[in-house]
Amino acid sequence: MQNITIYIDDKKLEVESGKTILEVCRNNNIEILTMCHLEGVLDVGACRLCLVEIEGVNKLLSACTTKVAANMVIRTSTERIKRYQRITTELLFAERNHMCSVCVANGKCELQNLGYKVEMDSIRYPRLFPQCEVDTSHSWYVLDHNRCIMCTRCVRVCSEVEGAFNWSVKNRGYQVRIISDFNTPWGESTTCTSCGKCLHACPTGALWPKAIVQGQLDKKPEIIEELMAKRKMGL
Amino acid sequence: MDSSNKKTIYISPVTRIEGHAKISIQLDENGEVYDALFHVNEFRGFEKFCQDRMYTEMPTITPRICGICPTSHSLASVKACEMIQGIQPTYTANLLRRLMHISQNLSSHALSFFHLSSPDFLLGYDSDPAKRNILGIAQEFPDIALRGIRLRKFGQEISERITGKKIHIMGIVPGGMAFPLTEENRKYLLEYIPEAIATVQLGINMIKSFHEKNKEMVESFATSPTLYLGTVGPDGGHELYDGKLRFINEEGIILQDQIDPSRYLEFIAERSVSWSYLKYPYYKPYGFEKGVYRVGPLARLNVATRMKTPLAQKEFEEFKKIGGGKPVHGTFYYHYTRLIEALGDVEIAEQILNDSEVTSSHIQHHGRWNYAEGIGSSEAPRGTLFHHYKTDETGKLVNVNLLIATGQNNPSMNRSVLEVAKQYVKGSNIEEGMLNRVESTIRCYDPCLSCSTHAIGNMPMEIEIFDSKGKTVKRVVRN
Ligand code: SF4
Ligand code: SF4
Ligand code: FES
Repeated sequence: MQNITIYIDDKKLEVESGKTILEVCRNNNIEILTMCHLEGVLDVGACRLCLVEIEGVNKLLSACTTKVAANMVIRTSTERIKRYQRITTELLFAERNHMCSVCVANGKCELQNLGYKVEMDSIRYPRLFPQCEVDTSHSWYVLDHNRCIMCTRCVRVCSEVEGAFNWSVKNRGYQVRIISDFNTPWGESTTCTSCGKCLHACPTGALWPKAIVQGQLDKKPEIIEELMAKRKMGL
Repeated sequence: MDSSNKKTIYISPVTRIEGHAKISIQLDENGEVYDALFHVNEFRGFEKFCQDRMYTEMPTITPRICGICPTSHSLASVKACEMIQGIQPTYTANLLRRLMHISQNLSSHALSFFHLSSPDFLLGYDSDPAKRNILGIAQEFPDIALRGIRLRKFGQEISERITGKKIHIMGIVPGGMAFPLTEENRKYLLEYIPEAIATVQLGINMIKSFHEKNKEMVESFATSPTLYLGTVGPDGGHELYDGKLRFINEEGIILQDQIDPSRYLEFIAERSVSWSYLKYPYYKPYGFEKGVYRVGPLARLNVATRMKTPLAQKEFEEFKKIGGGKPVHGTFYYHYTRLIEALGDVEIAEQILNDSEVTSSHIQHHGRWNYAEGIGSSEAPRGTLFHHYKTDETGKLVNVNLLIATGQNNPSMNRSVLEVAKQYVKGSNIEEGMLNRVESTIRCYDPCLSCSTHAIGNMPMEIEIFDSKGKTVKRVVRN
């Protein structure tokens, strides 16, 4: 792989071509907010939190899906980016029903942490308060659509890592929903192996084990990356 | 009587109780009190919006009903969950839960007595309303105010030392507890005990000397007899965390004893009334009219045969003398009983903290959904509390019934308000001291209405007198 020169936040960097802006930033300790990105599975650019400014490009591009190119001038923390991060976060909260204080993920939630990170002290958009289902049909796990942010990390982990292809997505816009199998209750799935990887991959309190209550949630999204690394090594 | 001649006095909001309420006093054409109503306007809909969620979320959701008695809700809730799972908590978990419960009871009783009620005792009912609050106490009796605050702090400290949170606790989970108590924290809490005992005893002396000086008022203050419900141990001993139900009648005769809380519906029925969102529960065998019962500290001490610890037992014996072998009906004695309980709480906390198993790490049994229905109860500071869940075979809640303490006291609160109003309010002439006594009646019960606001002292009060046609004939605003 050939080395190229790029500039991030006025810093000159020699990096390998073929990498994404996100990879380069993470390798160089430059902070980029992400939500749908999960180490170990492919990126889809769904959440729009990792937006960066690139000189000569009018619109903001997602760092997780944009590859570096020679002489690229990238900015990661301009006022414009911060404004968009805050808007995006507020919209994530406004779209479904997030009641952190009574949520099983309270204190251990990536979305909640994001809220703190972007200093979200209020939500300026009207909340949609949709009527969402709580799927309790699986013997061990719960899917609560009230807290799903449609990052599709579960979908990708289930297909790319477990190979079960249980999860997919239905509808569009605000009616979009995660579905199990052919839009049937999770407990009736013929593809789900009950491996529990989607629970670890899920950044919020949307997927959780029935056996625990608030304060006991222990999600380890990093096991997905470890698993994939081992697999690449043929272990 | 011709209703067109009646006038209604509204006292709203009731200051220094947690939540919002309105009292209306209706006068007849002679200016005599005809009727009194205590309105409760808050409705938070917990029973409805918990439906369709997992039953295991209830111990997290229901403590949010009340900022003062979250632990009682948590306990009733995990017990209902344990019934659904068919499991019991570990020995150590039971100890820690008792500590958590004591923690809440102490902070709540300290708040009720030192912060909210002591201004009436120390500064007098007719003193300047702007000063008749904890700040006024801090000015006149700084030592007492400080001790009260520290007692409340001790209560909160117990919970924080166990779970890391002062209020809205996490950590009480089906099957036990999520966090153990460390040796360091155990020692730290033990050091607080002597001071806490001294403070509660100070409170007891305060209330007793008030009783002596105001004998006539105390003994005539909302004394109408009711039935009582409380939790007792196997030997009839006073119990807060776990036990069986006992009902006694006005004479102190035991009507029901050692009833498992899961049978509550056999003995308690509820009726909705038009003027209040709170339901009106009553002792089922006696019907709506005759079945008015009370819960809370006064009820618990009335039903109990003994206290479990020596200092509290001594005080309990003095309390029992007031009734001469019969239940004590005087609503004013809620304060005294609250303090006797607090004394017992501190003594039990000491015993638990000295139990060699209290720091064990064996704190949780694990279970899963086994039975469709679960019922749990616990004694909240204000009285017996029931949580009743029905689930489908996946654990999803299909029905939730919460019977809260304030709801059960509601019928007798109304009755007490009427009694006091009849005694003290004459005509539409509003005198500060008089109306404050009506408020005080309510405050005896220490009701938590929606429990989110703590008005202290000089909260503005608006009093309106309406004639029968709804026209305001007098309006007084107190700032
Ligand atoms: S999923 Fe996260 S953000 Fe949503 S309610 Fe739960 S803790 Fe809050
Ligand atoms: S269930 Fe969780 S992992 Fe799946 S899309 Fe929703 S938030 Fe993402
Ligand atoms: S992390 Fe890049 S779009 Fe979500």
